[in-house]
Amino acid sequence: MTTQTAQTEYALEVRDLYVGYYKDLNILQGVNMKARRGQLTAILGANGVGKSTLLKAIFGFLKPNAGDVFLNGQRINDVPTYQRITLGLAYIPQRMSIFRWMSVEDNILLGGWTFRHDKERLQRKLEENFERFPILREKRRQPAGELSGGQQRMVELARTLMTDPQVLLVDEPTAGLAKLLKREVYDMLTELRDREGKTIILVDQEIRHALRIADYVYILDLGRNKTEGPTAEIVADLKKAFWI
Amino acid sequence: MVATLLHFVPAQMWLITPEFILRLLAEGLLIGLIYSLMALGLTLIFSVLGIVSFSHGEFYMIGGYVVYLFLQKFQNSLPRALTGIGALLAAMLVTFAIGVVFERLFLQPMARGEVDRPNEYAILTTFGLAFFLQYLMLGLMGPFPKKARRFFDLPVFDAGLIQATKASLKIGNITLGAGRLIAGLIALLALLAMLYFMFKTWTGRALQATSQDRQAAAVVGINPMNMNTLAFGLGAMLAGLAGAVLVSVYSWVPWVGVIASSKSFVIIVLGGMGSIPGSLLGGLIIGVVESLGTGLFPDPVRAQAYRDVFGLVIFALVLLVKPTGLFGRKL
Ligand SMILES: Nc1ncnc2c1ncn2[C@@H]1O[C@H](COP(=O)(O)OP(=O)(O)O)[C@@H](O)[C@H]1O
Ligand SMILES: [Mg+2]
Repeated sequence: MTTQTAQTEYALEVRDLYVGYYKDLNILQGVNMKARRGQLTAILGANGVGKSTLLKAIFGFLKPNAGDVFLNGQRINDVPTYQRITLGLAYIPQRMSIFRWMSVEDNILLGGWTFRHDKERLQRKLEENFERFPILREKRRQPAGELSGGQQRMVELARTLMTDPQVLLVDEPTAGLAKLLKREVYDMLTELRDREGKTIILVDQEIRHALRIADYVYILDLGRNKTEGPTAEIVADLKKAFWI
Repeated sequence: MVATLLHFVPAQMWLITPEFILRLLAEGLLIGLIYSLMALGLTLIFSVLGIVSFSHGEFYMIGGYVVYLFLQKFQNSLPRALTGIGALLAAMLVTFAIGVVFERLFLQPMARGEVDRPNEYAILTTFGLAFFLQYLMLGLMGPFPKKARRFFDLPVFDAGLIQATKASLKIGNITLGAGRLIAGLIALLALLAMLYFMFKTWTGRALQATSQDRQAAAVVGINPMNMNTLAFGLGAMLAGLAGAVLVSVYSWVPWVGVIASSKSFVIIVLGGMGSIPGSLLGGLIIGVVESLGTGLFPDPVRAQAYRDVFGLVIFALVLLVKPTGLFGRKL
């Protein structure tokens, strides 16, 4: 047995999760999920089945009533939410989560909160992000709330990447974006996986796009697992079912 | 006939000279700076914790009493300026500490979601603290007004147009009392320091971040609970400092905070709930309007009693035109 936790095959694992917004009302009723390291795992399903709820529970914004969340093989149920970024777990929620009235630059810099005393690293990561998103450099003094939807997503992504998280939870990143921008966002996600080996858990309504880039797929149905499998198998099943 | 007409002419009409108006303006601005300071504290609490603190005036009251007691104890053993600085620091420290302890004990359970009706809970606990502090000080200090002596002197100089004695400053024909002048200047310094803190330091930005998106703050690693405690402590401290600089201007009783508190509410609503520039501008406006209103009101006897009404009139007018206040947004 290895002590190197970072080498577990699965970067993230959810076991038999029961969670909800009110006592005694579980939205998720025994969900299981495993995300293989360095792969993109997509979580699909109709509106309201509990995909966002699952990500909130993984990040700790919702306390599980039962079940466990493991990161690199370690149970993290009891780790406070604000400490999860230090474990290399990052979260981009479905609704826009920028600091609206702060400048773009301050938004991105706040992504480096956990290493705020390391000026040199802050500058380096900021610079990296400006190279990744040149438009953000141009608009760095503007309040982030004034940017377009696509650019606000870029601010979120840039802020998230400041700490080089190993596992990213991403909830419907392209909802409401223009077609061209959607493509860009998906390309960015695949790049993060292929170049930097990041583990990505992507929740999406854009089934077609998600299937194009995912390695493994889970389909949820009203708070429970419905199907899962490598993308190719799922696509074949779907084709059979819908003749698409 | 002439007598009836005369009745409507301000009794102190002969006093209304440009100098008089300038003095009213200056005094209004000075007191307005202190209002701004208090309102900034309330705004900070509102933006980060999402509650309106009903004990804000009592922190103001405590700040004043701490200065009064500190001066009593050390007036003769320390140099004058040092006593003054010590008194202010003591007031800030005590109010900050009370704020922090109260927030940890009573408001954290609400922030953790352990309370069923958070809005009612916040009102009741902060009101409870207000009454507790009022009766505590009534027990400790008695009901009779106290007034601290002025604890800083102006540097004495004579530069022709501007002359200063220990107790007053004369610019041209306008004379300002040292008490108010120094109170206003300290408030100005504190405001500048707070602005620097909020916009230029990491902790200040973390407070802003928490107020703008609590979840996103936690996502980047900021502990929102600590920000709640800090915001409440700082908010209490600003109110405490406002009281500390005014205890040598007004006389102090255990319920002196009630009016100060309602003024702060008026200012933050006027400025736009949760806006820093709003609370700064709102404080200055209320200060100036009160000062001009009181000074120019035809019947000087009633003018003092109407003091708080003038601010409310402006308040009502602004809200009629712009219901969100001057700057309706968060931090
Ligand atoms: N903040 C909330 N409070 C109460 N119920 C919620 C909340 N958010 C979502 N729900 C409920 O939880 C269920 C799952 O929602 P969600 O996880 O957002 O679905 P999805 O992301 O799959 O569209 C829905 O029935 C929704 O009504
Ligand atoms: Mg969703």
